[in-house]
Amino acid sequence: MSLWVDKYRPTTLAKLDYHKEQANQLKNLVQCGDFPHLLVYGPSGAGKKTRIMCLLRELYGAGVEKLRIEHQSITAPSKKKIEINTIASNYHLEVNPSDAGNSDRVVIQELIKTVAQSQQIQSSTQREFKVVLLTEVDRLTKDAQHALRRTMEKYTATCRLILCCNSTSKVISPIRSRCLAVRVPLPSVEEVCNVLSSVCRKEGLLLPGELAKQIAEKSGRNLRKALLMCEACRVQQYPFSADQDIPETDWEVYLRETAHAIVSQQSPQRLLEVRARLYELLTHCIPPEIIIKGLVTELLSNCDGHLKPEVAQLAAHYEHRLQLGSKAIYHLEAFVAKFMAIYKKFMEDGLDGFMF
Amino acid sequence: MQAFLKGASTQSVKPQKDKSAGTSGEKKPRALPWVEKYRPKCVDEVAFQEEVVAVLKKSLEGADLPNLLFYGPPGTGKTSTILAAARQLYGPELYRQRVLELNASDERGIQVVREKVKNFAQLTVAGTRPDGKPCPPFKIVILDEADSMTGAAQAALRRTMEKESRTTRFCLICNYVSRIIEPLTSRCSKFRFKPLANQIQEERLLEICQKENLKYSKEAIDALVRVSEGDLRKAITYLQSAARLNSDKEITENSVIEIAGVVPPKLIENLLQICYKSTFEKLQIAVKNMIDEGYAATQILNQLHDVIIQETLSDKQKSVIAEKMAELDKCLADGADEYLQMMGLCSVIMQQAAQTD
Amino acid sequence: MSKLSLGRKTSTVKLNSWVEPSFGDLLGGSAVKSLGLKKVSRSNESLSKARSFAEDPSEKKPKKRKADSHVLAHQFPSSSKTSLEDRDEPWVDTHAPNSQAELAVHKKKVEEVENWLRIHLDLKRANQGGAILLLTGPSGCGKTATVQVLAQDLGCQIQEWSNPSTTSDYRADDAYTRVFDPDSRFNSFHGSSQTGAFQEFLLRANKYSRLQMSGDSQSTEHKIILIEDFPNQFYRQPSCLHDILRRFVRTGRCPLVFIVSDSLSGDRGSRLLFPKDVQEELGIHNISFNPVAPTSMMKVLSRIVTLEAGKGSGRIAVPDRASLELLCSGSAGDIRSAINSLQFSTLTDHSLEKGLWAGKKGKPASSSRKGSVKGRRKSKVHRATEMTEDSQAIGGKDASLFLFRALGKILYCKREAYEGSETPKLPSHLSEHQRDKLLIDPELVVERSHMSGEFFSLYLHQNYLDFFSDIEDVTRASEYLSAADFLTADWTSRATMLEYGSSVATRGLIHSNSARSSATSQSSVGFKPLHKPHWLHINKTYRENCLTAQSLFVSFCLPPVSLLTELVPYLAQLNNPMRNQAQIAFIQDVGHLSLRRFPGRLKLEVLGDKDPGGLDLDSEDEDSSNLATNPSTSTTAEEPAEQAEPSVEPTNPSSSQEVGGDFPASQPRPSNTEALLEEEDLIIEEYDSD
Repeated sequence: MSLWVDKYRPTTLAKLDYHKEQANQLKNLVQCGDFPHLLVYGPSGAGKKTRIMCLLRELYGAGVEKLRIEHQSITAPSKKKIEINTIASNYHLEVNPSDAGNSDRVVIQELIKTVAQSQQIQSSTQREFKVVLLTEVDRLTKDAQHALRRTMEKYTATCRLILCCNSTSKVISPIRSRCLAVRVPLPSVEEVCNVLSSVCRKEGLLLPGELAKQIAEKSGRNLRKALLMCEACRVQQYPFSADQDIPETDWEVYLRETAHAIVSQQSPQRLLEVRARLYELLTHCIPPEIIIKGLVTELLSNCDGHLKPEVAQLAAHYEHRLQLGSKAIYHLEAFVAKFMAIYKKFMEDGLDGFMF
Repeated sequence: MQAFLKGASTQSVKPQKDKSAGTSGEKKPRALPWVEKYRPKCVDEVAFQEEVVAVLKKSLEGADLPNLLFYGPPGTGKTSTILAAARQLYGPELYRQRVLELNASDERGIQVVREKVKNFAQLTVAGTRPDGKPCPPFKIVILDEADSMTGAAQAALRRTMEKESRTTRFCLICNYVSRIIEPLTSRCSKFRFKPLANQIQEERLLEICQKENLKYSKEAIDALVRVSEGDLRKAITYLQSAARLNSDKEITENSVIEIAGVVPPKLIENLLQICYKSTFEKLQIAVKNMIDEGYAATQILNQLHDVIIQETLSDKQKSVIAEKMAELDKCLADGADEYLQMMGLCSVIMQQAAQTD
Repeated sequence: MSKLSLGRKTSTVKLNSWVEPSFGDLLGGSAVKSLGLKKVSRSNESLSKARSFAEDPSEKKPKKRKADSHVLAHQFPSSSKTSLEDRDEPWVDTHAPNSQAELAVHKKKVEEVENWLRIHLDLKRANQGGAILLLTGPSGCGKTATVQVLAQDLGCQIQEWSNPSTTSDYRADDAYTRVFDPDSRFNSFHGSSQTGAFQEFLLRANKYSRLQMSGDSQSTEHKIILIEDFPNQFYRQPSCLHDILRRFVRTGRCPLVFIVSDSLSGDRGSRLLFPKDVQEELGIHNISFNPVAPTSMMKVLSRIVTLEAGKGSGRIAVPDRASLELLCSGSAGDIRSAINSLQFSTLTDHSLEKGLWAGKKGKPASSSRKGSVKGRRKSKVHRATEMTEDSQAIGGKDASLFLFRALGKILYCKREAYEGSETPKLPSHLSEHQRDKLLIDPELVVERSHMSGEFFSLYLHQNYLDFFSDIEDVTRASEYLSAADFLTADWTSRATMLEYGSSVATRGLIHSNSARSSATSQSSVGFKPLHKPHWLHINKTYRENCLTAQSLFVSFCLPPVSLLTELVPYLAQLNNPMRNQAQIAFIQDVGHLSLRRFPGRLKLEVLGDKDPGGLDLDSEDEDSSNLATNPSTSTTAEEPAEQAEPSVEPTNPSSSQEVGGDFPASQPRPSNTEALLEEEDLIIEEYDSD
């Protein structure tokens, strides 16, 4: 039994639940025969991968769904061995080159070369090219992106690239200009609701509209998250009730408590406790940038309007440092400390104003 | 500010020629990108760059050609011009022998440039074509994206240029003439390529639409002209993408905007209004929405910048905001989180706007 | 005569260069090399036998023969205390210990080693297996000397391995040695395979022991194989060594003793070569030595001085007690270097010397004045030792700071009031930044801690919060730490920026602690225990978990972020059956987050006051905990019996005051994090260098 997310994932362009117009356009694209490189971008949980898989199916037929996970090892010119997982069908190859860290350039060049040079197994597919699907392109190093741009040109004859990323901000412009950019926005709350109810219907469950709406809102329109939430709701309680608690992940709760801890007291001692909590989150694999983002959201909702702009700027400042620096805890802690300081000052000023 | 401007204008520095290289390997005429298909065939067809055209025409008539330095924003026809001229000078047969195209950012390093250029330049050539027509007794080396060559490579080129002047003419193409070292610029006659006027662009686009039998709305063409900002190549690429996506249907303004990845101006305006008038909570929601819609923060930033400059804020306010924008651009390039960065910027705008009241 | 001679092989390079000129040509390089010779049994019972045996090894290592023969000539006379011409001989050799009583090593340690040797020499025949002893400890703490003295007492002979060298003259001699010494056969392996040679040596020495010794008296049946020098290969592939040892343990007949020196910043010897599991598997007994206690060292030094003064007939200047104390504290428990410095400093004809000593004596006066002016509980002794670190010129050992003290210096940031009118004042709007003069030099402190600035900052980061009381200050301090990390972010400029980064971190921390801004406001903090940084451990777990997650859930085809923040946490809430055991375990571990308010996962690990600075980088787990139990902490750290001895020992003056009496009575035992840290460090380095 697989997760609902996977079980009810649409497999053809026609069956996609939302952004139907875009689905049609993609269909046109496949039919017009002249298939360009694609750059698919949009927030996490918007259905980029689903869309891409549907597109591939449109291109090659059901054969693309026969996937196999392969463990490839690539030898860099420096003799360094790079191990990377790929997911492949007879027609396409999916890889997340950023898994290889700083060696991503080599991975891209080698993999694409291999794919481009290998013959199409079935000539009946009337496509003379294979597809390489690169995920998380925005995490690639600049070096790798430049290599990608060369590789793209070199092997256009036998190989098309589909690049998948969250934002085009970090994709260099030569790549952007070589690709047809496809933006996949998050589904609206209504669209999420519709998907949820139709999934529940297929499961033979009855999902109250209010609950669906709540889930949709709580998931932040992230469809994957919404479906996971919905399934967790099902485990928690069935039949559903309209006002039931929607299960949150542990880390979100934990993060919220951390934010409360920060707001309730501002002292070096408390900072030490907060540090321990941050460590705890990190050991549970919550990436530091997610932590700071979550923390900001919670803190913003907990502090006075006058402070908010300042806090937002602080967050931006430290998040940037965190991305560049090597020890996330310094920056997380500096942010928390700074927040504590301005919050405390604000509260004290407020108190003074109140007393005199 | 500097960083910001840079980010904006390097946006599509050079897809044109590379595409040609890529697709020439592919031997299917139908898959030819329109930028190639509708590239000017002769210098007369080059739009809007009269001075260059005049010089090149002279040389077509038999005059000597100086070393050339073309600079200007992307998509203004720099590469097209020299390619067209070369084609006319040598005709299709000789073209391959006589013209060397080097893309500086592909072939980095002094060594490569030196070797290739030297080897190419050493052979002397006759002053006639196989078909008997006269042609200039020199070869042309086209160095695209010369501004991305290292200083050392440029310096190396300086000697080569002088030594081979008997047989070879150089044409350097770049976006920023300031990044070419002085000794090189002084050896070339410089030509600045202006961004294409909207009128000219529109004409070209309409021409292509007719040839390709496209259905289009007037607004779509306007939008194309607007989003491409004087970059004809970009406009044509977008047009082709739009045509691919909407096979038989009419190309609409929206589809153009969508393909260009441009944030609808209404959203930007809305965001600004929230910054000016509304609460922080609303701002949070608005920013979140924009990010959720998948718009790239750099794009929002660019458009916001264009709008802010026009706003009725004091110079001081604008400069504070602009400085923050520059910082933001750098942060985004470093991979910082888009939502947090946009919030940072918007809260600065909010604070600045609040100060007027 | 002197009771000391310590492992000679490893006298520090720095020391050599100091010592060389005054000791004459004989001793420069060869003094160090000649030590291979010390395999010579010192048994006095048959000098002739020793001699004949001594010639064996000297031929085994022909390259060294020249030096050897000289040394031999001197050594035997000196050991019979008759030599007058050993003027140029290093005292380290001439005053090598001859009996247990003369060892500067603590009695209990010696006993421990002795017991082990006795047991394994006796049982040798019974259990038919090789027993292995591993001696660890800082250099110059008497490891080798102990083994040698004990071997002599137990009447057994030491056979030592030394790395064959591949120089050509060596080869030339080879034929010769082969003819005369069957044992030297393994030397012919040369560069081709040190490892092979080593194996050959070990198993052969083992097998033929009786054959070779057949002509000797019955006492030679006992033999100890001593290995101080490891073929390089083993550092790269410790598993080779382990394999050889496994064979040895099965077939060996005599005890095998390994001696591994720990150093502050160098090799990661014993932990790399003898990881815990291998130690257990092979039943390796590990005894680790502490640095020589100052009192024992004082005894030894004064004895040498007396002896030398007696026979030197005015050729040496007899140092006073104070200078001896200086030498003691400066040598940081390295008796070899202490003796060398002693010899150097007593040379009358050394013109430099007077100035050096004068300079030294000038300083303690001034700094102890400071001490008394401030009237702190820090005694003069403390002042004096602190001074030593600042100005030890002949100290031999690098004046290094133990990490604990280095951190303390930054965190307590002692200041001194400006005197009277000369006080520069900041304008009023900057007055909050007014600080009194720092008594320390942060950059120097970091340098002396033998740690990269980055790691030092990590330690600071772990501990700084305890020393701050105001959140404003904390904000500034954390900002500086963040900036320090940011500065070193770009790998291209990293090498240059590292120093600046650590300057920003240390100075930033010091400056931002406004509670300690003036000399008078400092005493309030009191003692705070210091801890080892968590970050490395955390970061490692984080990365490992991420990788595990990706490999376990690869079939979900999700980008890591959504995998970790969405899928796994929710899977934890679903009872979905299609998972395998590993996945379930992982989900249990990572997907669930205990919602207790204050997580108990992270145990604080107290940093012992003697933990060497380089600890997390390279040194040994065992060692560090041993060090921690050393004198001054011994009152506090409740360690298991394994290192029972230290509390008896007198206190090392260099750092006890810092700790004072208020070190918390019981702290969690340092566990295996050092191992983690070390590994971690490796990983980080690799990662960065890409």
